Amino acid sequence: MKFAFWLWCGLALAAPSGFDTSQQFLKQYCASCHGAKPLGGFQTSQVSTPESFAKDSRAWTRLKLRIENHEMPPQGSPAPSLDAREAFTRWVDSELKREACAAGISVGPRPLRRLNRDEYTATVQDLLDIHLEIGASLPTDGAGGEGFDNAAETLFLSPLHSEKYVETARLAMDFAAKEFKSRKRLLVARPGPGLSEEAAARQIAAAFLPKAFRRPVAAPEVNDFVSLYRAARIRGEEWEPAVFFMLRAALVSPHFLFRQEPGDYALASRLSYFLWGSMPDELLFDLAAQGKLNRPEVLRALVDRMLRNDRSENFVRRFIEQWLHTRELTGDKMPDITTLPKNTDIEELLGDIRLQPVYFFREILNRKLSILNLLDSPATIGTSNLERHMGLKLPLDPGRRKQPQWVELPAGSNRGGILGMPAVLAVSSYPYRTSPVLRGAFILDSILGTPPPPPPPNVPPLEEAKPGAAPRTVRERLTQHRANPTCAGCHNRIDPMGFALENYDAFGRWRDEDAGRPVDNSAEMNDGRKFAGPAQLREVLLERKDLFVRNLTTKLLGYALGRGLTLRDQCVVDAIVAEVRKNNYSAATLIEEIVLSAPFRGEPEVAKP
Amino acid sequence: MKRRTVLQGAGVALGLPWLEALAATGGTEKPPVRLAALYMPNGVNPALWRPQGQGRNFELSPTLAPLADLKDRVVVLSNLWNEAARGGDGHYVKEAAILTCRTIKKTPGADIANGVSMDQVAARAVAHQTPLPSLELGVTPVAIGVDAVVGYTRIYGSHIAWSNPTTPLARELNPRAVYERLFRAASGSQADAAGMDKLLLDRVQEDARRLRTRISTADRHRLDEYLSVMRSLEERVERSAGGAQRAWKPRAAMDAKQAPPERPADHAEHVKLMLDMIAVAFQTDTTRVATFMFGNAVSNVNFRWLEGVTAGHHDVSHHGKDPEKLQQYFLISRWHVAQYAYLLRKLAAMPEGDSSVLDNSMILFASALQDGDRHWPHDLPLILGGGGGGRVIGGQHLVFTEDSPLANLYVSLLDAFGSPVDRFADSTGPLAGLLHT
Repeated sequence: MKFAFWLWCGLALAAPSGFDTSQQFLKQYCASCHGAKPLGGFQTSQVSTPESFAKDSRAWTRLKLRIENHEMPPQGSPAPSLDAREAFTRWVDSELKREACAAGISVGPRPLRRLNRDEYTATVQDLLDIHLEIGASLPTDGAGGEGFDNAAETLFLSPLHSEKYVETARLAMDFAAKEFKSRKRLLVARPGPGLSEEAAARQIAAAFLPKAFRRPVAAPEVNDFVSLYRAARIRGEEWEPAVFFMLRAALVSPHFLFRQEPGDYALASRLSYFLWGSMPDELLFDLAAQGKLNRPEVLRALVDRMLRNDRSENFVRRFIEQWLHTRELTGDKMPDITTLPKNTDIEELLGDIRLQPVYFFREILNRKLSILNLLDSPATIGTSNLERHMGLKLPLDPGRRKQPQWVELPAGSNRGGILGMPAVLAVSSYPYRTSPVLRGAFILDSILGTPPPPPPPNVPPLEEAKPGAAPRTVRERLTQHRANPTCAGCHNRIDPMGFALENYDAFGRWRDEDAGRPVDNSAEMNDGRKFAGPAQLREVLLERKDLFVRNLTTKLLGYALGRGLTLRDQCVVDAIVAEVRKNNYSAATLIEEIVLSAPFRGEPEVAKP
Repeated sequence: MKRRTVLQGAGVALGLPWLEALAATGGTEKPPVRLAALYMPNGVNPALWRPQGQGRNFELSPTLAPLADLKDRVVVLSNLWNEAARGGDGHYVKEAAILTCRTIKKTPGADIANGVSMDQVAARAVAHQTPLPSLELGVTPVAIGVDAVVGYTRIYGSHIAWSNPTTPLARELNPRAVYERLFRAASGSQADAAGMDKLLLDRVQEDARRLRTRISTADRHRLDEYLSVMRSLEERVERSAGGAQRAWKPRAAMDAKQAPPERPADHAEHVKLMLDMIAVAFQTDTTRVATFMFGNAVSNVNFRWLEGVTAGHHDVSHHGKDPEKLQQYFLISRWHVAQYAYLLRKLAAMPEGDSSVLDNSMILFASALQDGDRHWPHDLPLILGGGGGGRVIGGQHLVFTEDSPLANLYVSLLDAFGSPVDRFADSTGPLAGLLHT
């Protein structure tokens, strides 16, 4: 991996330099204000030599952001075309990255992070062995970083959280106190002959706290909690309620709510929250305790084992539903169910639609298939509901037609990969109609990782349509839209890929006609390339597979680390992508390489021979 | 994965007899002033918003028609804007700053920054006088992800209340949970339970203080956030356990058995229940400050259940001057105004000595965009309802100089609320003609 990585850097170094072009750009668009003297803290002389990337990378970063956000040049001054703007910012990005990578792989930031709502729920369930949606009353978490709700930077705490933590801890312990299984797990000692009440409480705390805090807990810390037990007894509580009160406090402690484990225990937690969405099990804990966890061969074996465990569904579901936004299929994005046939079991169908991409990704991982299957695949996840909804005949197992299963797709099905799945097609539509703009933007952003440029903050009023010439179809309206040069720059890029998917309606069903007219699924890319329909769109996307693989790697690494990626993390992404490519784009390799990466393991990589 | 969790039960229209049943227990002292802000995403159909005429002689516009019976108790405000939000993007910059009047930082999350919102300035001033400092409510969960096209985390679009520039306040979406929370806060804990809670909270704060010494400076602000919310909870527990010493008394009694249902699937029903919660909170005086979001920024709540509407909110706001879409845009805005009117009427029907809760409240209705099609940030749609304890001069359409600071409105509101400030964000003074001086 190391070799491939340096090879990549070497290639980048050898590439023709855009430095002269950049200076031309600066002269043309910036120098008239920022040339002779600094203005607003910037002068072009700060970025006038190739060495300035090392000396003043901050100036380059700030300059790039101003150009990228269309904040500079100011309105009224000569402005570069969209292409020139992007060529410039892309070049600055690659130079900044080159500079950063030359400094070597780094672990990167590791911000303190609380458990999010899903992690909290799963952890309490595993810790107490209860099956109660215990976190349901906590506020939902927003997302940051690479777009996931486990990003440290956006896991805020509001006063509402403190109340809810105290309440749910009470609820969880009251529930556990009545459950046979939980009692057995928690009450590991009983007062009796030779064991005082307090000694029994101490044994219970000493067994519980390391699990709750995901690290060893020394005697003085155990004592702190035993003193809570004691205080409760003094206030007249019976032995058992006093014990549960002591345990309840642990669930509100920052040692439980925040990921604060030291050394290998932190790695154990990182692994288990990445692949299981919950606390580490005994094996992980023991490996950390023995100092054996942070070894490549151990980690490789663990990844395999953990992905095979049912708990990995937490990871697959949370990752896929946020990456592809299919979590939003309830609420505002709920497709119009009145268009379904009368005898549809709606709940079951919607459930199947939502689980299809999730189970599909899990099969790709478990079967160690290529991640390019996400773009096109000879098989999918089928159920009898999905078969009917997608209008196909699938070779479902007759004995379990309703159960989700991996099935071969018939030739010409147009359903291979995630872009053939109703969940993805519906979530990139309005509930009541398709939108080539939304679908095109979805592909550019979520699939290829190249989001379109932002629309202007205040859209200039459009020309009035000529009377009698009002466009009727969405396609005609968009064509008119693109006739406006202000809109064309971006929409020429966004809309074509969406047009190619017009054969799928807003619920992801196949259609040959829309409102009585034949569907027009033809498209022309910015560069003049023409294509039509989903099959050719898949070809176009497969030609851009490097963008896709890089984007998926970025998303997965961001999810695994629970934070946004830095410029230097991009060097790690490059190294992982190189390794994945070498292994036929194997999904299993991708997960392994993420776990073996320096930022995940928490130490700069040891050079390989 | 549970395969049967996608659909919630269909919404049923529920009568709310319980709300009227609250018995006033308030004393004879001057009632407190309350402040709420209701935020509507996506702007309005500009041609059907602004009233005809100005000052006391004005006609309500078609969008404002649901306020006909309340005309004397509202002030329509024209030509205010938030200059700090003019650039950036079409939605997040404008909507996240509606109560802060600041420019939010463009970020996917690592260095989120806004200002302190107007409601939180008010809440801080009276925090120790009521069981809850403020109430943040909504109907839609936090929007997921980062809007990569414009480069902002969607957290911005899901929060209008900010306790400090880096901390948005989480909202409660479940009416039943709000009611139970109000009830718990209003009834206080038994001394026993409070004593136990205090033990527990002492313990965890001690844990946090110890943990704080082991972590990096950069991480401390997260732990400080934890310490601060735990400490404020402990203070509340202490106050509520203070029994006889406690100065606060509910101004109306609540009954635990009358809790509303969980989050209904029906949007209109859900909104009504959340507005009811503001009414309960204000009537009982459990809190004096509330914010409510009808939806997140760029909300595309599907309004097909509203007669004459065939699409979602954000979709029709980009009307492109299509008369059909403009009509639907108008219908959706008018529906929001009707919900606002519902809350005002509810408060007006809650007697408080010689006056009503509405007479002692200021209920702001605001959108952060005017014409959503253009993301137009000028001449924002704003209505102030209620008497503000006799300070607000109702029954007016106030037309200010174009592009007057929205922050001036907040200076006036904070003044009438009893916690005057010299300045708020880019304010240049109070709004002329709004308050009795």
